[in-house]
Amino acid sequence: MLILIVSFLGLMLCGLPVAVAMAGGSLIYILVSGSVPDIVLAQRMIAGIESFPLLAVPFFILAGNLMNIAGITGRIYNFAVALVGWMKGGLGQVNIIGSVIFSGMSGTAIADAAGLGSIEIKAMKDHGYSTEFAVGVTAASATLGPIFPPSLPFVIYGMMANVSIGALFVAGILPGLVMTLLMMATVAYFARRNGWGGDIAFHWGRLVSALLEILLVLAFPMAVWLAVKSGLSVNIAATAAFAVLLLLDWRFNFSAVLALMAPVILIGGMTMGWFTPTEAAVAAVIWALFLGLVRYRSMTIKTLAQATFETIETTASVLFIVTAASIFAWLLTTTQAAQALADWILSITNNKWVFLLLANLLILFVGCFIDTIAAITILVPILLPIVLKLGIDPIQFGIIMTLNLMIGLLHPPLGMVLFVLARISKLSVERTTMAILPWLVPLLFALAAITYIPSLTLWLPQQMGLLK
Amino acid sequence: MTLPSTLPVQGGAAESHPVETSAEALVASFAEADQHTVDLSGHGIEDWICLGFFWIMAGLVFLQFFSRYVLNDSFAWTEELAVYCLMPVVFIGAAMCVRRVRHIQVNLVFRYLPVSVGRVLSTAVDLAAIAFYGYATWLVARYALAVNNEPMTTIDWNKSHVYWLAFAGFALMTVRGIQVAVENWRRGFSALQNPGFFDGSYD
Repeated sequence: MLILIVSFLGLMLCGLPVAVAMAGGSLIYILVSGSVPDIVLAQRMIAGIESFPLLAVPFFILAGNLMNIAGITGRIYNFAVALVGWMKGGLGQVNIIGSVIFSGMSGTAIADAAGLGSIEIKAMKDHGYSTEFAVGVTAASATLGPIFPPSLPFVIYGMMANVSIGALFVAGILPGLVMTLLMMATVAYFARRNGWGGDIAFHWGRLVSALLEILLVLAFPMAVWLAVKSGLSVNIAATAAFAVLLLLDWRFNFSAVLALMAPVILIGGMTMGWFTPTEAAVAAVIWALFLGLVRYRSMTIKTLAQATFETIETTASVLFIVTAASIFAWLLTTTQAAQALADWILSITNNKWVFLLLANLLILFVGCFIDTIAAITILVPILLPIVLKLGIDPIQFGIIMTLNLMIGLLHPPLGMVLFVLARISKLSVERTTMAILPWLVPLLFALAAITYIPSLTLWLPQQMGLLK
Repeated sequence: MTLPSTLPVQGGAAESHPVETSAEALVASFAEADQHTVDLSGHGIEDWICLGFFWIMAGLVFLQFFSRYVLNDSFAWTEELAVYCLMPVVFIGAAMCVRRVRHIQVNLVFRYLPVSVGRVLSTAVDLAAIAFYGYATWLVARYALAVNNEPMTTIDWNKSHVYWLAFAGFALMTVRGIQVAVENWRRGFSALQNPGFFDGSYD
């Protein structure tokens, strides 16, 4: 067991790809201990991706990539500027709202930081903000990606922990909103301390039109729900609502209504029990294709091929880790290593709240060293039995784990978002670290709130009837 | 700044200062987000095969979606075949990641090692990765032979064909791994030692 863990960590720190370090460490353990035939490695690695729920992963990635080329990015920022650009520290707020909207379409943090980050940082620098401030906001708001649905870490966690992915998605909404508010408050604090004004003049017309767009988006699921209640079939109600929406959009040329519809379709479809997560992902892909090919006509075969290649690369690198983790986690469980670790943790404390504190510290620590997906696949088999034994809801624990791992992406030694942003912004790693440091405060506040107020995560899924 | 502050100005702008401007000017700074330059020249034949499998997989899941919601009678085989399409997408895609050095890896120690030691370690890492890919290729081949002639659940197709695709992926990873190792050796450094050179932010 020690061989397994030490060889994995050793190989990974030497610089082997994380997946190869996991599978290679497992292989070394199998060869040294001789406990199982080595062909098990091939069998487990292949079985690790033979699962229908995992198909949600490539499609959520594809939906996010297609949204990026659907010609809606400019519209989303247009909307965000109208909504919050007038506030003090305007572009900081715009950056956060932009990330919130994009996190409703994509499920990863690193891609958000790399793709939108360079544009956001450049725009903020152009308008007089310091690079440090721009990097800090961008890094912090990138953590929203996997908290707001859809989310790749939630799909992987849901699979490993055998809990409903739909319930996890819904459970992420309120924590995501709390994080958004805390970050906006941090921007306001910086603006106040530095005496910044708004970036544009306050204008009622602009704000009201942005608010009307939000109302319209919220009215859509309400209208469908009411129509279904009054006896219409779901297919007819949804088709009619879409027809009205498209007609209105064509008449008034809204800036962000159609983009904001993506998360509504996803969440609405899953909570009403119409879609499985995989189907919801496909629905998001179809919506993105509709926007890019029909409504805004900004997609070409070439950009589509490019987006597909990017999707394949991300899918392969994420799921290759999942295949490697499936042999690694299997060995952890069968060699009783997971059990031994669980017993050891339980011998320290039997108290739910103390355990949550320790678990937070452990996951935060692991998250500083190991990639998100790999960390979930290693930690779930170890921690989940304790979580269930102490009566903590596995859904809440999934949100806690993901947020911890997202925070781990922001700081040294191995924060991926940190390094990506350091390279984009051409700041040194040390200066980037200092720029991100103050932003850990709102994130840690959010983490404490999510850990110690279970209803923050569980209330919404309970209301929607997704939890017993 | 008039407000007294004990914190260092990490997030604050001491020298530059945001000024009020028009909404159009703000929005214009984000305009380049919708401009995309496409360069598909760097993609090899296996990437296009992978792309084919990807869209077949997408087509199958669309078909399932359609059969379930419009025809109200879902085709069971779409689900199984889509899962099998994921196999080549992941394993051949992983070979694509090997070639383009896109696998997630950790280059922490290389920032603290002297160049010569870093080069030795990075070469050792390349060799270890090739050894793993090679060994895994052999294991997958043995596994595919072991499940020979087992049919799929919903259609009467041979399941081992899918495993041979995984084998192709691992074999390709080995070949591409050797290729990347040779390139690293000739160039004198790898992505671990100088990541900026590989992701386009190098200048």
